[in-house]
Amino acid sequence: MSAHILKLKVNGREYQALVSANHTLAQVLRENLGLTGTKQGCQVGDCGSCTVLLDGEPVNSCLVLGVQAESREVLTIEGLAEGNKLHPLQDSFVRAGAIQCGFCSPGMILSAKALLERKPSPGLDDIRQGLAGNLCRCTGYQKIVEAVMQASHRMSGEASS
Amino acid sequence: MSAAYDVIGSRVPRKDAAPKATGQAVFIEDLRFKGELAGALLQSPHAHALIKSIDVSKAKALPGVVEVITAADVPRVKYGVSPARYDEDLFAVNKVRYVGDEIAAVAAEDLETALKAAALIKVEYEPLPRLLSVEEATAEGAPWIHDEFPNNVCAEVHQEFGDVATAFKECDLIQEGRFVSKRQDAAFIEPNQCVAIYGQDGMLTLHSSTQVPHYVQRTVSMVTGLPMSKVRVVKPYVGGGFGPKAAATPIDLAASFLALRSGRPVRMAYTREQVFSFGRARHGFTHEMKIGVKKDGSLMALEHRATLDGGAYSSFGIATVYYAGSLLGGPYKLPNMKYDGRRIYTNKPACGAQRGHGGVIARALFEQQLDIIAERLGMDPVELRLQNMMETGDVTCNDLAMSSLGMRQCIEAVAQGSGWKQKKGALPKGKGIGIACGFFVSGAGYPIYRSETYHCTVTIKADEDGGGVKVFTAAAEIGQGSDTTMAIIAAEALGIPYDMVRIESGDTDFGIDLGAYSSRTTLMTGHATKEAAENLKEVILGELAGELGIDRRRLDIKRGLVKIAGEAVDIAPLRVRYQKEHRGWLSQPEGGQLTFNEASRLACLRRGTLVATGKYKPPVLGGKFKGAAVGTSPAYGCSAQVAEVSVDMETGQITVERVTDAHDCGQAINLTSVEAQMQGSVAMGLGEALFEEVKFDEAGRVMNPSLGEYHIPTIMDMPAVDCIVVESGEPNGPFGAKEVGEGAIMPTIPAILNAVRDAVGLTIDETPLTPERIYMALKKAK
Amino acid sequence: MLLPSFTYHRPGGLAEALAMLDGFGGQAKLLAGGTDLLVNMKHGKQAPAQLIDLDGLAELKASGSRGDALELGAGLKAAAIAGGLGGAAPQALAQGAGALGSPQVRNRASLGGNLVTARPAADMCVPLLALGARVALVSPAGERQVDLPEFFLGPGLTALHPSEVLTRVLLAKPRPGEGSGYGKLGLRKALEIPLVNVAAWLALEADGKTIKEARVALGAAAPTPMLSPGAAKALAGATAGDDAFAAAAFAAAADARPIDDHRGSAEYRRDMVAALTKRCLGQALAQARGN
Repeated sequence: MSAHILKLKVNGREYQALVSANHTLAQVLRENLGLTGTKQGCQVGDCGSCTVLLDGEPVNSCLVLGVQAESREVLTIEGLAEGNKLHPLQDSFVRAGAIQCGFCSPGMILSAKALLERKPSPGLDDIRQGLAGNLCRCTGYQKIVEAVMQASHRMSGEASS
Repeated sequence: MSAAYDVIGSRVPRKDAAPKATGQAVFIEDLRFKGELAGALLQSPHAHALIKSIDVSKAKALPGVVEVITAADVPRVKYGVSPARYDEDLFAVNKVRYVGDEIAAVAAEDLETALKAAALIKVEYEPLPRLLSVEEATAEGAPWIHDEFPNNVCAEVHQEFGDVATAFKECDLIQEGRFVSKRQDAAFIEPNQCVAIYGQDGMLTLHSSTQVPHYVQRTVSMVTGLPMSKVRVVKPYVGGGFGPKAAATPIDLAASFLALRSGRPVRMAYTREQVFSFGRARHGFTHEMKIGVKKDGSLMALEHRATLDGGAYSSFGIATVYYAGSLLGGPYKLPNMKYDGRRIYTNKPACGAQRGHGGVIARALFEQQLDIIAERLGMDPVELRLQNMMETGDVTCNDLAMSSLGMRQCIEAVAQGSGWKQKKGALPKGKGIGIACGFFVSGAGYPIYRSETYHCTVTIKADEDGGGVKVFTAAAEIGQGSDTTMAIIAAEALGIPYDMVRIESGDTDFGIDLGAYSSRTTLMTGHATKEAAENLKEVILGELAGELGIDRRRLDIKRGLVKIAGEAVDIAPLRVRYQKEHRGWLSQPEGGQLTFNEASRLACLRRGTLVATGKYKPPVLGGKFKGAAVGTSPAYGCSAQVAEVSVDMETGQITVERVTDAHDCGQAINLTSVEAQMQGSVAMGLGEALFEEVKFDEAGRVMNPSLGEYHIPTIMDMPAVDCIVVESGEPNGPFGAKEVGEGAIMPTIPAILNAVRDAVGLTIDETPLTPERIYMALKKAK
Repeated sequence: MLLPSFTYHRPGGLAEALAMLDGFGGQAKLLAGGTDLLVNMKHGKQAPAQLIDLDGLAELKASGSRGDALELGAGLKAAAIAGGLGGAAPQALAQGAGALGSPQVRNRASLGGNLVTARPAADMCVPLLALGARVALVSPAGERQVDLPEFFLGPGLTALHPSEVLTRVLLAKPRPGEGSGYGKLGLRKALEIPLVNVAAWLALEADGKTIKEARVALGAAAPTPMLSPGAAKALAGATAGDDAFAAAAFAAAADARPIDDHRGSAEYRRDMVAALTKRCLGQALAQARGN
């Protein structure tokens, strides 16, 4: 059993934490840093609820050791809004009705964020591919797809204006 | 219809959406209490065994362990869902009945220690024969899983309405079919979890991820012996329920006992694997039906037999076996119906309720048989359905009253929206189109326990400054959107903007509400909310009328403004009073009309805090026969769906290309939420039709207890769902509203079945429609 | 679900990793992407006292060509391979990597991990087998290279010694006139372990019609990913097209030794081997012809 002083950047802020080697990144975020927006639905990489962006790429934080995030950058759902201003993806999820129970929403939104970084104007297929690792049992996904589309339009609109 | 309303029928964002989008929303695993202990269960590794001895000494001796409890440490109180079948003990008494049956619970300083301690409990078992199927459980000489229930029959139903035998003699065509479905898991994304806290004041507070705070409160009270007033159940945001979270769980009860004994908060959680081994979701059904029709397509009679593989305990099963029969009474005119159902105990996790409770597979077979009948009669399946469809005002042979029924509009809408006429019969091999209908209760007519209780009460309190109101309800927001629905109803009834309504829910301290099941909340809690809002409005306007010295009946509130009918009234004195109270404020009421704020503030000044309540229970419903209560409801939602599929003839893989879905919800409260429920229902139905099956090995263990191997649809599997919302205006619903949450799943499985039948020319009589099942059927047919 | 306790090590380079592995004498496990190992540990199936994290080793993430050979670092993520490695990745391998799990899993799962875990239907193993790949296994004593058919010994069993690290995968660079394809059958369209998967590779003669050489690899058809000798034989020298592919499919199905389990029956799997073999060969041919 080993414990490690972990240094990492989360949502733009530097953190140091003493973590056990056997604690996952999800545990570290939730328990050490109090960032409980990261949800745990299965703990074995099947559902995508715990998705965070690790150096910009979506990963299941239940299958990353906290210590593996050493010196890396993590984005969680708490890091998306700017103050009270929701990120366009969050806002679109709210307006499109893409959120029901909301347990998958943080992971879903972060997967969508990574997708839009890579493909600012995704097609339907891109969205489906990009969100294929996030299970939702409530929505049937349709309003999620619509929300991502709307966010992409708004973000590209903002970028060009 | 919606034009008459200001908030109802709109697409306002949900109250809980922004907190959920930002990670601020608090779910059970986000709550933390000082001094929490972690609980763990010891569960049976055997499907059926006698317990010879339990030795907890090593577990108790492990450093960090605070409490270890078994059946010897808790009162012997049998519990369950239906008082007619309280057949569960919190901890096994002498016997375990499924892999996962609870034997003991541990509370320790941390989860690792708790798990270690649970593993140190030594149990001696004497294995009994395992009864893992209905066949095994009903075989001659099979042991009884419960001594009280001979031959493992948990429940039997025998009903006949009309005269089936005579009716069959008058029929021109008899169609017979059989269908087998598999046990489901609800696969909510948030596993069950709870924290129990026992305070110095003698109050037990249980925070739990549940659909039904009230029933959990009752069960915890009954099992622990604490009075109900000393048990409070609070539901934070819940990550989905769909049925299995509609009763107290063993962890709710175990955590309560551990907290009572230790005096410290105790958290208990199911892992995903434990969610599967706890079960309580959709039964595996076997249905047999014989349907008689006249040459012209008129349905005459149905003879129906159902067998439910129930698992080790009753859970909701009594209601399930009744629903499996009663929900075929409509939506078609069917004068004669005979139903024989039985639910059999087996040594597997108990099955219970899941979206479309009890009716989904019966509906699937019935609708599939209708398509075969249409084919045999040379009729279009749409025509056959329209011809037999009930109308508003009709009553089924089993006394279900269709007080509103937009079924015909639904069928016509999906037929048109899907291009049915052009496609049916014109698609190439491997492509198919299918239609199905269904209906569902808009709230169970009676509580689960026999009682004259109101099904829900709602309190609304006006903010003292007049700036808005707050709704307090014990109703359970589990993701379906009930908070938003109630806020909209309150806003509409009060005549104020949606933003002026805040809501708190899911706490038994707020009153009674039976919870989120049987698709009841919109209609029932909606009624109570509407009544409370109307009562509050009455108080406010009464005070205002007194102040103005005019007749109350001249006053109304619309869009946050006070409307005064008749001759002009001088509002200036009131406005000045309000403005004087707000010296320095930048914003002041303007215009020629008094605002709600002014009126409400004035009422507060005259009366103190303003509180109004509302309540609802359905009128006495249904027939007098045994089981008549199940299936009764003040209203019924109904829907039709058309599914279009393509089948890979070489592999058997099915792709659902498109679903056209129409649902009659009476009146949409929030249009976006109605569509969202429709789409979510289609997804769950699609998963059940194509993929989902909880599988067991020969020892009775779940073989696929993960979301990797229990396959719910991913975003890649979902077609576009075109939603058409039909609003028939339900006379028994608040603002004409009735359900959408569960009824919307009813047509999905049969629509897909019928589309697949159209695509491959074969009748498949078993779900899920895995590629292998389709391929093998095609191969056999060659 | 908790991970059992272990001591975590982050070596600065391969040499250090090898020295650690050697030093712990069988007590250590190598952690690459963690998408299999950490799941097994959470389920209590594995509980190594020491974990040596290879994830950060840049030297395992390189890819490049040496002469006619393509070398892929074992630390490459499935996502990178699915992205084609700048056009270097053979089609079937990119398809296989892209079919693995989900985007989140592909961002973690490594090429080496997929090989070492050696599931009978692993999404990258089956294409690599069809592509004739070898693996480089490095120990303090040096490097040895093993052809994949000799590497896979059983479900979860490989020729990797406890003191070795799988560092690179070596395969022939794709050339004109060659093509490959991958097919996977599952229930869902994502997040799936294959019920059956097949990969095919073929090389055409200069005439663009005659098959010079071909390999068909099958997953979930035996305890390990396997090559179908019958399919290779049926294809060599044959004219590329439906007849040859049907013969190869028939031969592949005959070679397959699938089992009945809760995911599917042997009969269905065997028939699907044939169906997918035809499709994969079709994809391979299309690529070989430059379509």
